[in-house]
Parts: sequence; structure tokens; C-alpha cells
Amino acid sequence: MTDLFQVVPGNSPLHRMNPVTKIVLTLAVSVAAFLTDNLFVLLFLLAFDLMIGVVGGVTRKAFSIFKGLLKVSVFLFILQALFVRRGNRLFWIVTDEGLLTAAAVVLRLLVVCLPLALIMTVTQPSDIANSLVQVLHLPYAYAFTLTTAIRFIPQFMEEMSGIMEAQTARGVEFDTKNAAKKLGMLLPLCVPLLISSVRRTGATATAAKARGFELRTRQSGYKRYGFGAVDLMGFLVSAALIAGAALIR
Amino acid sequence: MITAEHVGYAYRGNVRTVSDLSFHIEKGEFVALLGENGAGKTTAVKLIAGLLRPTEGRMTVNGLDTAKTRVSERAKQVGFLFQNPDRQICENTVRDEIAFGLRAVWGKKETERIRERTDELLEVFGFRGDEDPFSLSRGQRQQVALTSTLAPRPAVLLLDEPTTGLDYRECTRIMEFIRRLNETEGTTVVMVCHDMEIVLDYARRALVMAGGHLLDDGPVKEIFRDAPLLEKASLLPPQIVQIAGRLGGEFAGADDAQTLSSLIAETAKKKGERA
Repeated sequence: MTDLFQVVPGNSPLHRMNPVTKIVLTLAVSVAAFLTDNLFVLLFLLAFDLMIGVVGGVTRKAFSIFKGLLKVSVFLFILQALFVRRGNRLFWIVTDEGLLTAAAVVLRLLVVCLPLALIMTVTQPSDIANSLVQVLHLPYAYAFTLTTAIRFIPQFMEEMSGIMEAQTARGVEFDTKNAAKKLGMLLPLCVPLLISSVRRTGATATAAKARGFELRTRQSGYKRYGFGAVDLMGFLVSAALIAGAALIR
Repeated sequence: MITAEHVGYAYRGNVRTVSDLSFHIEKGEFVALLGENGAGKTTAVKLIAGLLRPTEGRMTVNGLDTAKTRVSERAKQVGFLFQNPDRQICENTVRDEIAFGLRAVWGKKETERIRERTDELLEVFGFRGDEDPFSLSRGQRQQVALTSTLAPRPAVLLLDEPTTGLDYRECTRIMEFIRRLNETEGTTVVMVCHDMEIVLDYARRALVMAGGHLLDDGPVKEIFRDAPLLEKASLLPPQIVQIAGRLGGEFAGADDAQTLSSLIAETAKKKGERA
């Protein structure tokens, strides 16, 4: 799980695409998902997400992320199905509208989360930050914050697994099947995770300042991020997705 | 006490980190696990602690198979002090921190017993119970983590690079306490350590690992005299052993020296004998 956001090198069209185009594509998929309530369109968008993985040469990773998200989706689906009371009752307290809303919510979650995770696996975080600064004129501090937050996710996951290991050594039984008990065991672990996160963030900020972080401007990066045919294709697909979702609601 | 029988361990993806590991450690021994990074030392201590289950062979502590023993049962017998105390500390006061492990091992109902043991340890280590562990220095936090590890009186103490990041005084304080524990209470100590001076000062036996295999097992002094073995394991003996070893040819017996004062005394004695 810690290699979730590890960049997979390659020369696929998705690798060659300008990072800004990738972000636009990701946003377009998300906007399209929120414009429509049509389950078929949402299913199409989900298939499109998986296609992004295939085009980027990260098919296995795409399905592994999809599998991970499915677990959360099942939980979310049950909650939605139980709490939406509109529509005709099918069984117990579950209604037809509840099931449809639950399906739409879950599909939307999958459609929105997948491309973001996939884009991160085919793009270096530094390229995302630099292109946002160069192309969109975003202040470097914001771009750096964004990419650092993403880069820290696997590190925090590793830290959490180390903390759980340390607590297991002290006799804490995390393998209990009682969900409430497990939650009670996990809550105290937020303290060391928070402390280590704050320390790590502080150390990163100091290291960045020591290397002239505040002197960085738009011209500082040596790499230029141009737009090519593949980017044009990306923008067209983005526009088509939004238009399609707006038309077939 | 601790027996490894042809133990092997492979992480997911079949990356084998430990192979055919066999050794026996008696009660009350002080053993150092030596080897370069990636030699499999940490995997070996995690296998002893039962944090990892052998994919081959069998690991037993006090006759109990670590792969089949419950976590709380294992924690009663085996204490594990990690390199980073911040992964271990999770309570807001030193008192609660010490009691945390006790509650997990003894059960929450043992309130009185837990309070008595916590008071006893606070007195022994000189901590204030209401102190925030995260406001302490790195060495003090490591000491809090050690206190908490020792609270359930484990028969085996596993140390994974316990002195990393500590200054000399903090390091000595912790290691002296562990030595006393080993000598007076007979606690078996297994320590992963990259500092050969500490190994020479405190451990009596060493297991040398390289590439997941056990290269040698013997008394620390003999291990440090075996230059080809040390080279194979990418280890450098402590400076005092290197100096003594060089003098050894001229002053036979001087390579037994463990401290600078004993080396000087030994050398002076030999010189006197020659004169």
C-alpha cells in the first residue's frame, strides 16, 4: 500500500502529457461525474478511468487502487442505502431510491478518486509543482505544499504501520474482529502519528529554507513544460466528457 | 530460552530477508546481532518478538512457538525497544505511557497492580508522573519507552539500535541500566547495534549476519579478532581492538584489552617483562 503513489517511469502518451493537461483531465472527469446522475454515464466514466490506467501502462496499479477503493465503497453503499428513506420500500428499511442514490454516490467516489491516484503514478510531484508555477503562475509555495502533501501520504502510511508494529510489540491486539474495540485501539495512535508528522514537516520546511526555497521564482526551474498533440487530445477529451455528462443527465 | 530452527522469512513478493537461521540463546545471555544494513538483523529480532511469522522453520521463546502465541501472551515474555521512541509513546503523561503497555498485557481490570508497578518504575527512573513525554529530550523519551517496555517484567528484552541519536551520557545511562537488568534479574538481552564500542562494552556473545544468513556465532572478543569474518560481514572492530590487535604481535595478549586503560596496563606489563 505504501507504493500507492510511487511514480512508475515510462514513455506512454500519459507520461508525455503536460502535467497541467493531466490535472485538467482529472478535473474534467470529476466535473462530469458531478454533472450527471445517470448510472450508465457514471459507469462509462469509471471505464474511462481504468482506460487511463491502460494508456499510462499502469493497468495493474489501476485495478489495485480500484480494489482498495471498493472496500470503502461497500461501506459507503450500505450507509447510503440505509439512511435514504425516499422512494418505494424494497425490504426492511431499504428503498429503491436509496439503492440508486447509494450506487450513484459510490460510482462518483470511484470516478473522482481513481484518475487523481493514477495521474500521481505517472507524474513526478516536482513536475506537477513546476508546471503549475510555470503555466498557471501559481506561487511556488502553494504548488510545493500541494505536492508535498501528496508525497507525504506513503511516508505517513509507513509511519503508521511502524507505530502499529511498536504497539503490537507492547501487547495491543489489532487483529481483533470487534470493529469498535479496534477503533478504540487505533485512536491513541493518532498522537504519535501527529507528533511525527509535525516534526517531519518542520524538518522539511527547514531543509527547504536552507536550500533557498524563498528565492525561487517562476524562472527558477530548468525544465520547460510545453503543449503538444497529446495535450490537444487531452483538452478535447476533457471538453467532450463535460459536454457529454451535461447532456445525458 | 530462544531457539531458532532453520528459520526463513520472505516479505511479500518473495524477497527473502532471512534464510536458514538457527541458534539457541540461553536465559540471562547478552547477545549482539551484528551485520551491515540489510543483513537481516531487524527481521531476525522481529521474528523473535513474533511481529513477523517465519515462512520457514520454527522460532520458540520459552518453548512457545512465536507464530502460534497470542500477541498479549508474547508481550508478557518479550519486550521490544525500538530505535525510534516516538513510535512507541502514545499517551500524554509518563504515568499513562507506562500504564498503557501494562493495561494491554495484564488487562484493564488490574488497576491496583498497574498503579503499584507504575509508581515503582517512576521512582526507579526518577520521572515525574504528570510529565508530558513529548516535551522530554530524545534520550529521556527513549528511557520512557524503555521503562514502558520493562513494565510487564519481560524475560527477554529485544533492542533494535537503542542508542541511535543519543548523546554519550544518555547512551551510557540506558546501556548501564540494561546491563544491571541483565546481571541482577537475569533478563535475556538481544541487541541489534551498529556501534561496535557498545557491543564490546556490553554484549558477551555475538551473532554475525550477512545477506540474511548467519555467518558466525561466538564470544564478542573472538568475533572481533576474526578479521576475515569481519570483512565478510562489512564490519570494523572497535578502535581499541584494532590498536590492541596491531600491538598484539609484539605484545602477545594485549589484544585481550577491552578498554584503553586495560590496553595501557597490559602493554606496560609486557614491556616490564621484556626489560
